Amino acid sequence: MDSNELYFSSIRSLSRMIQKKEASPLEIVEAFLSRIESLEPKLNSFITLLYDQAIESATQAEKEIQAGRYVGPLHGIPFGLKDLFYVKGIRNTSGSKIYDNFIPDYDSTIALRLKKAGGILLGKLNMHPLAYGPTGENEEYGHMHNPWNLDLIAGGSSGGNGSAVASGECPFAMGSDTGGSVRIPAALCGIVGFKPTYGRLSRYGMTVLAWSQDHPGPMTRTVEDCALVMNAIAGYDPNDPTSINLPVQDYTRALTGEIKGFRLGVIKEFFDLPIESQVKISFWRAMDKLTELGAIISEISWPIYHYGTAIASLIQMAEATSYHRELIRKKGPLIYPPVRLRLEAGVFISATDYIQAQRARSLFYIQSLNLFKNLDLIVTPTVPVTAFSIGTSSLVLDGQKVNVISLLTQYTRPFNLNGFPAITVPCGFSEDQLPIGLQFVGRPFDEESVLRSAHAYEQATLWHLRRPPL
Amino acid sequence: MERDVFLSMGKAFGLEIDDPHVEELYSYVQKVLPTFKCIEELNLTGFEPFMPYPSSEVSS
Repeated sequence: MDSNELYFSSIRSLSRMIQKKEASPLEIVEAFLSRIESLEPKLNSFITLLYDQAIESATQAEKEIQAGRYVGPLHGIPFGLKDLFYVKGIRNTSGSKIYDNFIPDYDSTIALRLKKAGGILLGKLNMHPLAYGPTGENEEYGHMHNPWNLDLIAGGSSGGNGSAVASGECPFAMGSDTGGSVRIPAALCGIVGFKPTYGRLSRYGMTVLAWSQDHPGPMTRTVEDCALVMNAIAGYDPNDPTSINLPVQDYTRALTGEIKGFRLGVIKEFFDLPIESQVKISFWRAMDKLTELGAIISEISWPIYHYGTAIASLIQMAEATSYHRELIRKKGPLIYPPVRLRLEAGVFISATDYIQAQRARSLFYIQSLNLFKNLDLIVTPTVPVTAFSIGTSSLVLDGQKVNVISLLTQYTRPFNLNGFPAITVPCGFSEDQLPIGLQFVGRPFDEESVLRSAHAYEQATLWHLRRPPL
Repeated sequence: MERDVFLSMGKAFGLEIDDPHVEELYSYVQKVLPTFKCIEELNLTGFEPFMPYPSSEVSS
């Protein structure tokens, strides 16, 4: 197989190649390591590359498979982890030089489950410092770059994941999402990013940004791959107090391609906010495609949406400051300045303000559930803009000057506040050949409907097959 | 937020309030805190602080 084909193969294809002995885990891992070596000077997706460990694990996987001990579709498949998932014995920087020498002495549940599934860890991926920002800019380890245009942001905070998966440096990566940090880089880099329901995936062994809004999530090139990764990592974990003890399905069984009769809601308030015209056009074309597939689209109103950013941001700010309080006190000047400002500002949120915001969140949650009385899913643009230049702090859109943090998170953050499952899939490209994302959101713990709809849309279009010009 | 309240809260937390950076922080706080004021417009009578997914709700 042409090596370029290999880099852009899905997990499913690579897995079949391994099973049919058309390629070995070692050959596959060596190919991806070579790809990383050639692209890293441009992309800077990784903070720590685990070359020797990956070769050793691939050799081991090869022996296991040859001995008939094949454990499943991730066996021998390389992947990356955002540099906030603890892996025993491997440094975990959380994107900050302050933690350049921090080596955890235990595995995060996500890392452990992927290891048990036979995945081969290639390295730890670059990220916005402390996961506190949606652009994927990092002056300490170097900015992440968008594979579609290297001058532009990859998005964040899981920016290294976005660039690595989109560029063929690895077939999948695990990210974390507190205000959109899986879905934003996935949308801006043209891949799939899934944030399952809060409690579905374990947060144990992840660096915290905001306990009550942090969600781990897979980033892949196809929805089917996303389902395959979910099969390996979903499920109850007693080490995470918010983990939910519910049965886990085989998520690939949801991918029937059938969405006839699905009731999809488009939130009218989402279009009160600034949005690039090209994103809007792609979104409505996607609605036409979903209608062709038999879905029933209706416009709905969600007035409390306009309060969501304030509620979510206040809670996030207070929780992040609480988690990092000793760091702020002892090493404040060493924190990446924009992150330091946000962390220190949390000092000035009172306990009663935090509790009021959590009460408002209860109202927000109830009103979110009510939306689904007559709907199966909500569909939205994922991000209202395409990727923009690194170093941009505000953009003018619809005649308004808008801060990029608010802009990037305006459609993703509400679903961290209510914890509902949400996925982004590519739904078009701008005139500048930059990817645009479409977001599907479901009821709590209805990951199946989210994956099914996203998969049906993906399979009816060709957007996910485009490759960046590297 | 009044400046003396800001300085007093910052000091109580353990921030170096003599650091020139504190000026930038004060401007930032003055800009950010008002964006949360809209939460007060919501009628929260009868609403307790959010608890993720009580087991009864999940099983229903």
